[in-house]
Amino acid sequence: MADQPKSYESAVERLESIIDRLDSGQAGLRETLDLCKEGRELVSYCAGELDAVGEGLRELRLDELAARLEEAPAAPPVEGESEAG
Amino acid sequence: MHQEQIAPAPSEPPQPELPGPFAVGRYAARLQQELRKRARVLLIGEVAGLRRTKVQSYFELRDGDGAVPCAIWNNELEKLGLPEDGLRDGAEVVVAGGPDYYPGGGQASPSFSFRVIHVRLAGEGDLLARLAALRKALQAEGLFELQARLPRPQLPRTIGVVTAETGAARQDLLAGLDRRGWRGTVVWAFAPVQDRHAAPAITRAIQDLAALEEVEVIVACRGGGSLADLWAFCDETLCRTVAMLRVPVISAVGHQRDTTLIDDVAAVACSTPTHAAEAAVPLDCTAARESLQRSAAALENRSRGAVGERARHLAALARGPQRALQRQRHDLNQLVREIRAAAQRRVEERRTFQGRIAMVVLGRALNRAHEAVGSARTRNRRAGDSLQRAGTSSIRRRREALDRAAVALRAHEPERTLERGYALAETMEGKPLTSAEGAAKAERFGLRFHDGSLPVRRADG
Repeated sequence: MADQPKSYESAVERLESIIDRLDSGQAGLRETLDLCKEGRELVSYCAGELDAVGEGLRELRLDELAARLEEAPAAPPVEGESEAG
Repeated sequence: MHQEQIAPAPSEPPQPELPGPFAVGRYAARLQQELRKRARVLLIGEVAGLRRTKVQSYFELRDGDGAVPCAIWNNELEKLGLPEDGLRDGAEVVVAGGPDYYPGGGQASPSFSFRVIHVRLAGEGDLLARLAALRKALQAEGLFELQARLPRPQLPRTIGVVTAETGAARQDLLAGLDRRGWRGTVVWAFAPVQDRHAAPAITRAIQDLAALEEVEVIVACRGGGSLADLWAFCDETLCRTVAMLRVPVISAVGHQRDTTLIDDVAAVACSTPTHAAEAAVPLDCTAARESLQRSAAALENRSRGAVGERARHLAALARGPQRALQRQRHDLNQLVREIRAAAQRRVEERRTFQGRIAMVVLGRALNRAHEAVGSARTRNRRAGDSLQRAGTSSIRRRREALDRAAVALRAHEPERTLERGYALAETMEGKPLTSAEGAAKAERFGLRFHDGSLPVRRADG
């Protein structure tokens, strides 16, 4: 795969086009192997995206975030927050 | 009020000690002037008995304690820009104007009315009118299309939510997200959603959420209520802020879409927080995981299949030349057999044909031969007969001619001449001497007589 997908939907769109191309039976061996390799990477990317929103709901409060930002402006905005809910 | 006094008639019965009597027409005109001098005021009430003529509209303005007849010139009414059917029976309105009196005339009846110079809708109607005006203005500026054109992520990791901390909308939204199988990060921006501080607080909360890089979509939600309850979400500043954001905003205010102005400027307007959850996460994560597993399996199948299929194809190709050779050999043998059979058939056909031709020719030749033999026989028979006849006569004629020739020949025989006394001079070799000169040259010669020869010698003198 040449580039990282821009988004989950673009990755899924490309993955569907790859499977359609493979199903057409028109791809040669080299192209088939390249497409399968790219497809596996896209599946891995999509799985990562789904895992990122599947591990557990995390609830943050904007006012607390703002307070922390004021205390430590250099810190990343959502790092170190306790999970709620 | 200035009034002109009229002298009473001398024979009339006594009357109260009052000014007048005055001429009623003039009194009516003065009454009109006096009423029109009164200060103009605002009245609020409900419209009843609305009717329109070509030039004026009439209605009563009522409340529970009383009513005032009102009239407004139609051209004045049209200038106000009220929403269509805004002035109607039952509408709560605020009218501006003052009392007026029409004095009537010889045939026309007098009437009192509150001359209305301005009308605005009050209560819900007033809010709706203001909302319609604001909606028209924002739409004219193109603010309704900006959010709708923003790309919305199918699977945001972080969602910002503006709502009341204690409202049911919060739980509804969480339940909707859970049904999506989405368990990412929610950043809550709690704000009052109803009082006079609501609009600025909501505006600030949305701006703060949009400032967070992680927030990919913002949901603004509130439970149901009257338009007055939801009025904060019609705030012009709030709606302009939402329209200009680069983060998509999903509105779920009240239980009906397109009631508040934020619904018009938001990327998506929903009727409930549950729907807002589905709009915020368009992807059903549970279904997406299953679909992704199918895609992964399909890829592996295609990958293995592509190699295996080609290996089988290669093996088939490797067997190909031998099969092709066998096929060619088989075809060749078949062709040879066919050629032989064809040649045999051709020879047989030719033989048969030629046999038939020969039979025909020979038959014809035989016929001709038979005919020729018959003819020859006939000719031979005729010729034989002729020959027979000719032979017999010819022999006879030739025999007669021979007899005659023998007679003639005998007549010319030298012997016959010699018998008649003549002698033949001849050389010693037997050659005749036919001249004296010859005889003179010969030294010797002979003389043959019919009965014998004598030698002669030349006697020179």
